[in-house]
Amino acid sequence: MKFSNTYIFVFTTIVVLICATILTLASVGLQPFQRANRQKERMTQILTASGYKSVEDPIQFYNTVAEESEVEVLINGKKEQRQVIKVKLRDNSYCYVFSLKGKGLWGPIWGYIAIREDGNTVQGAVFDHKSETPGLGDEINTERFYSQFEGKQLFDQLGVFQSIKVVKGGVANSNVNPNHGVDAISGGTITSQGLETMIAKELEPYIPLLIQINKKERSLTEK
Amino acid sequence: MSIKKYFGPLSKDNPILVQILGVCSALAVTAQLKPAFVMALSVTVVTGFSSLIISLIRKMIPSRIRIVIQLVVIATMVILVDQILQAFFYDMSKMLSVFVGLIITNCIVMGRLEAFAMGNPPIPSFLDGIFNGFGYGLVLIIVGVIREIFGSGTLWNMQVIPTSFYEAGYMNNGLMMLPPMALLLVGIMIWIQRS
Repeated sequence: MKFSNTYIFVFTTIVVLICATILTLASVGLQPFQRANRQKERMTQILTASGYKSVEDPIQFYNTVAEESEVEVLINGKKEQRQVIKVKLRDNSYCYVFSLKGKGLWGPIWGYIAIREDGNTVQGAVFDHKSETPGLGDEINTERFYSQFEGKQLFDQLGVFQSIKVVKGGVANSNVNPNHGVDAISGGTITSQGLETMIAKELEPYIPLLIQINKKERSLTEK
Repeated sequence: MSIKKYFGPLSKDNPILVQILGVCSALAVTAQLKPAFVMALSVTVVTGFSSLIISLIRKMIPSRIRIVIQLVVIATMVILVDQILQAFFYDMSKMLSVFVGLIITNCIVMGRLEAFAMGNPPIPSFLDGIFNGFGYGLVLIIVGVIREIFGSGTLWNMQVIPTSFYEAGYMNNGLMMLPPMALLLVGIMIWIQRS
């Protein structure tokens, strides 16, 4: 069968328009569900970082223990609003959850880190990634990796910000203080480095806030 | 016309084992049974419905641009499946990540459209698509079952290898979790099937 050029143009246009309409409708119609899923995932990750693992109804639980607030921080000399989530822990103390964003080997990595009331000790952390190498760098989202962060400290005894180092070859074999270091993933060096940079860079603006929290805590315990 | 001729893709004409199509995704998503099953289902839906649609409009498609039209239809179906997975099976869609999107480039889908749906009525085309999806899915599921049992000691995320085995020194096979093992398994299946 022979078709004229005009027919080909008209036919293609119609087919593409129909497909585009279907996709638009699907995208708009499904968006609320997708947004709810992402919201739920975010809450689950924040709860996991705070030490509440496998919570049955994360949304409801999150709303009872977590309190979101905005703080003003200096980033590159500019004032910016950042979200900090205050989560009530089982022993009625609190932890502060900060969100982190950084770069891995192939794409973005992100996560949440929870700091206890002393503004120093890590309550827990979770990480996730878009496209790190399967079996190597992608292990940053496994519990085996991120559970290492529990109990680590951000400041040394002199009160200097040390962040958390992700040490290639293992903390035990290096001169990094085990209070400030976790083991990197073998074969996932660039992802591990990206993660270390992310933590240091993203927590830096909060240093004054963390010191302030620490002082408040001290004055309370002294009373 | 008997229904029997549609069963070809399950063994004699299997898209992966005989036509060696769609191997990439067969390696990537079969470390566990569950993602393998969802992937199989997604491919079946896409091949079935794009065959149906192409067959319905086959007489209107100018042959010069038929590949373009086929791609548009396949892409639409795949994006729809991806969106639905993201909305209702979020964890699963995270696990399958890019591989759902890559169904667009899966040669099985386009191969069936070119070879069958362009020249046959809608209902047979639909069945042909569905059974080719089954044929693909069957291999995925077999590989998924083997890899999950020996790689993680679980099946559908449930423990199947008793803890006493681990205490006796049994260890999960790490190679099973990696794509090369899937390639070996598919290779062995091809060998068995052809001999």
